[in-house]
Amino acid sequence: MATSETLTRRDAAERHMTLTPTPGPGARRLVRMAGKLGGTLSWLIVVLGAVAIILPFLWMLGVAFRTNPDLYGDPARLWPDQWTLHGVRAVLDQLPFTRLIVNTFVFAGGATVLLLLFDSMTAFALARLNFRGKNVLFVAILATLMVPFQVTLVPVFLTIYHFGWLNSYQGLIIPRATSALGIFLLRQFFRQLPRELDEAARIDGAGDFTVYWRIIMPNAKPVLATLFIIQFAALWNDFLWPLVISSQTRMQTLPAALTLFSSQSGVDHAALMAGAAISLTPLAIAFLLLQRYFVQGVATTGIK
Amino acid sequence: MATTTLKPSSGPPRRRSRRRFNSAYLFVAPSVVIIAVFIAEPIVQSAWMSLHDWTIGAASNPFTGLANYRSLWHDSRFWNALRVTLIYTAAVTVGQVGLGLAIASRLRRTTWYSSLLRTAYFFPFVASLVVVGIIWKFLLDPQVGLIDAWLGDLGVGNPPQWLQSTSLALPTVIVVGIWKNVGFTMIVLLAGMQQVPADLYEAAMLDGAGPWRRFTAVTLPALRPALLFTTLIATITGLQLFDLVFAMTSGGPVFSTESVVMYLYEKGFVEFQMGYASAIAWVLFIIILAVSAVQLRVARNRDGD
Amino acid sequence: MMIINSRRRAACLAATVAAAALVAGCGNNGVASTSAGGVVQLTMLTGFTGPDEPSYQALVAEFNKTHPDIHVTMTAEPWATVAQKLPAAWATGGGPDLATPSSDPGSIFNYIKTNSVLPLDSSVGTGDDQIQSAAFPTAVRNAFTVDGKLYAVPANMATLVLYYNKDMFTAAGITAPPKTEADFIADAKKLTVSSGGKVSQYGLSLADNNTIQMWPILQWMSGGDIVDAKGCGVVDSAASVAALTQWSQLVIQNHISPIGQAGADADTLFSSKKAAMEINGPWAAAGYKSAGINLGMAEVPVGSAGPVTLASTVPLMIERNGPHTAQAEQFLAWYTSKTAQLKFSQVSGFPPARTDLGSALAGNATVSLFAQALPYAKLYLAGLSQSTAIDSDVYVPMIQQIERGANVQSAASSANQQIDKLTGCTS
Repeated sequence: MATSETLTRRDAAERHMTLTPTPGPGARRLVRMAGKLGGTLSWLIVVLGAVAIILPFLWMLGVAFRTNPDLYGDPARLWPDQWTLHGVRAVLDQLPFTRLIVNTFVFAGGATVLLLLFDSMTAFALARLNFRGKNVLFVAILATLMVPFQVTLVPVFLTIYHFGWLNSYQGLIIPRATSALGIFLLRQFFRQLPRELDEAARIDGAGDFTVYWRIIMPNAKPVLATLFIIQFAALWNDFLWPLVISSQTRMQTLPAALTLFSSQSGVDHAALMAGAAISLTPLAIAFLLLQRYFVQGVATTGIK
Repeated sequence: MATTTLKPSSGPPRRRSRRRFNSAYLFVAPSVVIIAVFIAEPIVQSAWMSLHDWTIGAASNPFTGLANYRSLWHDSRFWNALRVTLIYTAAVTVGQVGLGLAIASRLRRTTWYSSLLRTAYFFPFVASLVVVGIIWKFLLDPQVGLIDAWLGDLGVGNPPQWLQSTSLALPTVIVVGIWKNVGFTMIVLLAGMQQVPADLYEAAMLDGAGPWRRFTAVTLPALRPALLFTTLIATITGLQLFDLVFAMTSGGPVFSTESVVMYLYEKGFVEFQMGYASAIAWVLFIIILAVSAVQLRVARNRDGD
Repeated sequence: MMIINSRRRAACLAATVAAAALVAGCGNNGVASTSAGGVVQLTMLTGFTGPDEPSYQALVAEFNKTHPDIHVTMTAEPWATVAQKLPAAWATGGGPDLATPSSDPGSIFNYIKTNSVLPLDSSVGTGDDQIQSAAFPTAVRNAFTVDGKLYAVPANMATLVLYYNKDMFTAAGITAPPKTEADFIADAKKLTVSSGGKVSQYGLSLADNNTIQMWPILQWMSGGDIVDAKGCGVVDSAASVAALTQWSQLVIQNHISPIGQAGADADTLFSSKKAAMEINGPWAAAGYKSAGINLGMAEVPVGSAGPVTLASTVPLMIERNGPHTAQAEQFLAWYTSKTAQLKFSQVSGFPPARTDLGSALAGNATVSLFAQALPYAKLYLAGLSQSTAIDSDVYVPMIQQIERGANVQSAASSANQQIDKLTGCTS
């Protein structure tokens, strides 16, 4: 439910302000001008801020196509003077590109889809069903959010090894197929959905799973989309986990390969930035396409 | 055979509850199994490790009880890491939430340019911390970076060496942390703002409240849950600072940006002292729990319910 | 009907979970089976991600060609990544068959402590298919021998020399590379060009972190050192402090080098023609040449203590519990053999990791230059099991502090105390 402040409202507010005792007309005009000036100033700051936010990415794109001497010679310029494709070529040559993209998609996509399923099931049970240990479970799940990843890295690796899941898709995906944050957000959202929906369905004879699948989930599309974006992005950008689980190049993911360009023997800036740009691109595209849903989605999670 | 009748949600009737219990457990089963096997058990295992002088695969890992924790108490490098982490977390949380709030309130309209600006602010969110760290590291490089080059062109004689200076490195990392996350905070707060019913504002305006007063009296209170959420998330992720410093400064120069998790990494993966590293991790975990509990308690008190 | 549906759905769910549980334990960690036509598959993990990677790959390819029953696959990942993955991987017997754990020879100690690596003595000897460790440079063999057992062979052998930009020398009116330390200092000052407070050209590109160390050489030139033969710190000796003071003053006051550079930054500064000199190893030559620098190479200038430079060697080790240790040992034997080392030197410009190939490579100027330095090259923190900790926790911070103007004597003294504490030195 978007509230948009139109100009008429602001004028109305200012008019209403005159109902309370104020200094004379000259001062009033001054106040209004100061208000508008303050308004313009804050707009300027916001716009400059947005430019500052985006500038690093523009610079990254520029460097991706510059030769090293050009970069060192005139670092103040945003755009290349001496163009080169060697950075891009280095990335494409030195990496088994298609394989990496496929792996990253399978990992990020597969884990996210499973995650949405499992998290929503758990959230549904926490929000709508009653069972013993419900609250304890919820608190326990939240607590796992607070543990830094490095703590569990070695023990988890050993567990995966014992299952024989190293260098396999299931080893990559299954440990990541559920997320405490997802459970939390979904539970919040489900709690807000009116119970009448459930009740109506149950009167018609629906069991738990049907309520879940036919009633709750379809109404959860915005928050599911939001969670999809957040988790997909996080998994896509996760470089340490796939690196540890998959020692064989054929199983690696894209972000991990990016670190190859920061080697001990000299920094290939163009390749590094080209790699960064390439690994950003799919997410950036997805984001730009889906960002409307995203804003909507976050709005409807009703963080309470 | 038929059906479920409705009872108010004070609790299911006993007989039917058996069936409903079963399916509830099935619902939570996949997540619980995964969390138990791949998160909870490793946490416990690492707690176990912290009570030993543990090196993986070593011939013996002697039980040392709380020795690791005792050494930690006397470890000045740990306290330095804690100081760095706390400063970072406080600064980034305040910065992120404050700026996010300011920007969100400026960009509430649904006009195309507001939408464009919002997208711009949110964009860093999709980049990985490693990529962000690498980009900024070079952006701030005294030789090839844009920032020092522009400062030089503007006539600044000796532009600061941002990441090489022991006094500037941490503030710089803080700024990058805020830069990365302010968009996310902005979106969440914006969503919260959009849910405030319009009539509250109208009522305020009728009372003669100006824009600032409307903000403090209507918007802020309505945003309390969203503010709590963003502050909590910012705090938890801030205390776990690792990727950014790993990519930008490797904890330097001279440990001025070494966070607790970085120290943990150094001890565990570089020096192979897994027991000690696990102890560090557990202390951090307790701190995160404590800080979060405090925040939640404060919020609940202020809400008055 | 609805309830039956729901119950059926619930049953489906249960079945899926059970199935997933069954899948566990059925994997084999992606390890290729040996019976791929009888060819034994070996994996080798290294950190050689730089411009010299092709040289190593060429060597591996040569081995595969001449040994049809064994196939080695070499992968390269950043050193930090190798350091993260390898310990747990090897401790569980599931990692690569062969690996270079770090560019730091001191890293072998941790793996020995965790019983993760195979002692190689059973395949040491003089035969063609044995590891001829007698031909290794003594310092290397000593560095890789612990408690009388040999645990690693050198994956490479490097010495550091002085790279310089001939064009910049000509522009500054210097006709020859510096031979003595005094020349070195004078040239560095002359080659530092700055205008209006901003340096446009640095005389020397020094790195202080994440690098094959250069600062120790500056100490060694004047007779200073970091640790002595007993492992006790000597960083605060008069010679050491004098050297460190002199060079840090050059950095602080004459700006001959930027501060805070990582090894990679220092290399790139030189290759992008913003620095006139750099002390570096053989791996960098190819990259510099392709960057279009009019490249000169010379021995490290000689100080009051005589000719000295830094040697570095990367350990190559075998996983103890791997399935094919015999074939892995065969690979190491071949790798360190005369033919392989000769070929490697010719392709990469590295000196060979053998002391009996001198004459065969005399024609190759690059290799000769590096090989020439072998007799007086010292390994940094050789043979100390705490070398990694000393480097990252004590030495690097100390250098960083004095580069930023800290009092050298006190920084060195405190560093000394820390070293003694780490090595357990009591004198």
